Amino acid sequence: MAAAATCGSVAASTGSAVATASKNNVTSFQRRGRRASGTNDSGPRLVSITGTRPSVRNGQLLVSTGLPALDQLLGGGLAVGTVLLIEEDKYNIYSPLLFKYFLAEGIVNGHTLLVASAKEDPANILQELPAPLLDDKCKKEFDEDVYNHKTPESNIKMKIAWRYQLLPKMEQIGPVSSSRFGHYYDASKRMPQELIEASNWHGFFLPEKISSTLKVEPCSLTPGYTKLLQFIQNIIYEEGFDGSNPQKKQRNILRIGIQNLGSPLWGDDICCAENGGNSHSLTKFLYVLRGLLRTSLSACIITMPTHLIQNKAIIARVTTLSDIVVGLESFIGSERETNPLYKDYHGLIHIRQIPRLNNLICDESDVKDLAFKLKRKLFTIERLHLPPDLSDTVSRSSKMDLAESAKRLGPGCGMMAGGKKHLDF
Amino acid sequence: MTPSEGARAGTGRELEMLDSLLALGGLVLLRDSVEWEGRSLLKALVKKSALCGEQVHILGCEVSEEEFREGFDSDINNRLVYHDFFRDPLNWSKTEEAFPGGPLGALRAMCKRTDPVPVTIALDSLSWLLLRLPCTTLCQALHAVSHQDSCPGDSSSVGKVSVLGLLHEELHGPGPVGALSSLAQTEVTLGGTTGQASAHILCRRPRQRPTDQTQWFSILPDFSLDLQEGLSVESQPYSDPHIPPVDPTTHLTFNLHLSKKEREARDSLILPFQFSSEKQQALLRPRPGQATSHIFYEPDAYDDLDQEDPDDDLDI
Repeated sequence: MAAAATCGSVAASTGSAVATASKNNVTSFQRRGRRASGTNDSGPRLVSITGTRPSVRNGQLLVSTGLPALDQLLGGGLAVGTVLLIEEDKYNIYSPLLFKYFLAEGIVNGHTLLVASAKEDPANILQELPAPLLDDKCKKEFDEDVYNHKTPESNIKMKIAWRYQLLPKMEQIGPVSSSRFGHYYDASKRMPQELIEASNWHGFFLPEKISSTLKVEPCSLTPGYTKLLQFIQNIIYEEGFDGSNPQKKQRNILRIGIQNLGSPLWGDDICCAENGGNSHSLTKFLYVLRGLLRTSLSACIITMPTHLIQNKAIIARVTTLSDIVVGLESFIGSERETNPLYKDYHGLIHIRQIPRLNNLICDESDVKDLAFKLKRKLFTIERLHLPPDLSDTVSRSSKMDLAESAKRLGPGCGMMAGGKKHLDF
Repeated sequence: MTPSEGARAGTGRELEMLDSLLALGGLVLLRDSVEWEGRSLLKALVKKSALCGEQVHILGCEVSEEEFREGFDSDINNRLVYHDFFRDPLNWSKTEEAFPGGPLGALRAMCKRTDPVPVTIALDSLSWLLLRLPCTTLCQALHAVSHQDSCPGDSSSVGKVSVLGLLHEELHGPGPVGALSSLAQTEVTLGGTTGQASAHILCRRPRQRPTDQTQWFSILPDFSLDLQEGLSVESQPYSDPHIPPVDPTTHLTFNLHLSKKEREARDSLILPFQFSSEKQQALLRPRPGQATSHIFYEPDAYDDLDQEDPDDDLDI
């Protein structure tokens, strides 16, 4: 799709190159000047939707999740037509952040939003979106953040590698100027009101849409899920995201966000009982939702409290029915909070599943041990590094603890402290 | 001084714990067990909020009204609005009750309030409701009641709502208890050691880290609280105190630190690829055209400037 367009434009440019050859006697090759958009349309133009880009691996259309670090780990972004499932952390502090980043990215790119929640009014959720950081302010904010944590020695100008002084200091993040894919957000500020009002959004708040005295037949969807699916289907059809109504305005992406799916507030009892009557409700919902998404230009983010689900088989089915599954595990309240291995971070991120879309293999990143940290303004995802095992007379109990915690890490950096026995060389 | 302020300015710390439990609003879950009962703490909280001038509603399902009102003085008893579901839970006597829908109907009716007075609703007990109603319905009703005041904007006239629910942990599996505790703003788990009761209080403020603390207390016969310093259980410090940590930088065969003279000598060393001023001038000089390019080469001390090709000696 992209290749055909460039061929067309190259053929058009050779015509203009010959004409200007005589102007400059240094070279006969002239860089074709930028032509104004809309005039002299001699080749096929690539119609692209704002905020999307094709994947470099397989040409799949991708949207950003709002966190460029997460985009990198997912192979470039979230593919249009797929579901991103986030397994909530125990106290539900960090998963709403990822949810909000996704919605904020939609507003910045001008996508249509559909926010569904049983707990909070969608209008309130939109009021709390983080503010975007735009280009020049961006670098200043980053440098502020970075210098707050670094030691004074690093401020010395570089003497040998002086050419690298101008490059950004952090390894993964750094403001990419004039990027149209993946923006940075300031978590301490709210999104300006005018941006929210200028955006097109639809909200679904369950207590308003449903009367509480409905009788539920067994083996069918709970009424909350049915209503939500009908709502999503209506929006997709009316606004033409599935290709119907082609006379409407330019194509856009629909970003769907569903919060706390599976919690008792949606009327689903998988969190309350192990073998409830409606244990297939959630899986049916996900199946129908995926069908709706695959036939329309939309992307969906769902947060689910999987730590409350009593029947582990349901979690496995839910994972299979979603495309990308990211689990958040925060250290609050667990014994890892005091473990010095994790003292710089607030929790771990587990990428549990990445889809194989039109492909035989999936885009797995080779970094499996990831930790996240919520700084004052940024949410960063970094690779978890084990500290070097320096001393050989450290007490055996603390070494055992390190080994226990390192057991869960992947083979990339855990080889040294893996296993119960310590071999010191 | 209004009566509520007078009640708050009481003796010291006894009021802090009850204050902190009632201040956050929302659902306060009191988890008790057979050994450490929670009804007296519930009654202490009810008394506290009645004294603060809030409207107090009690949904009594598990014990009779006389038993619940026992121990309160008449002034507090007059302020309590008691809905009795113990005497006739299935409404067989068909009298004109205020809430025909049973306790669930009563809860739902309280969602539709419009007055600005803060309200405390005490559920005695939540376990009774959980055993008779589907868990999801109960969760939805509790969420609707406890979150009426949290919408910004035009509903600022509705006062703060606190829902106190007494939950007997041993009657339920981990599922319903987990679901209710994820909904609760504050969770108080009662426990203790011999003779001394403790409350482990976990506060979940929205969008902030949850805070927890353990408080030792005892309840006096008139349902006021007496806080005590009990044995506090500290989390074990990570490092083992018996073996002192070893400093790995002793007994090294190389030097990790620089003395001042060494540092000066290092700084004054001229590096081979130093950005000297001649190079800088050459780069800054405006170039005649983009087509030409310059190679800047500063001959090293060891360079051989002979133009001959050393491979000429080979017989190929």
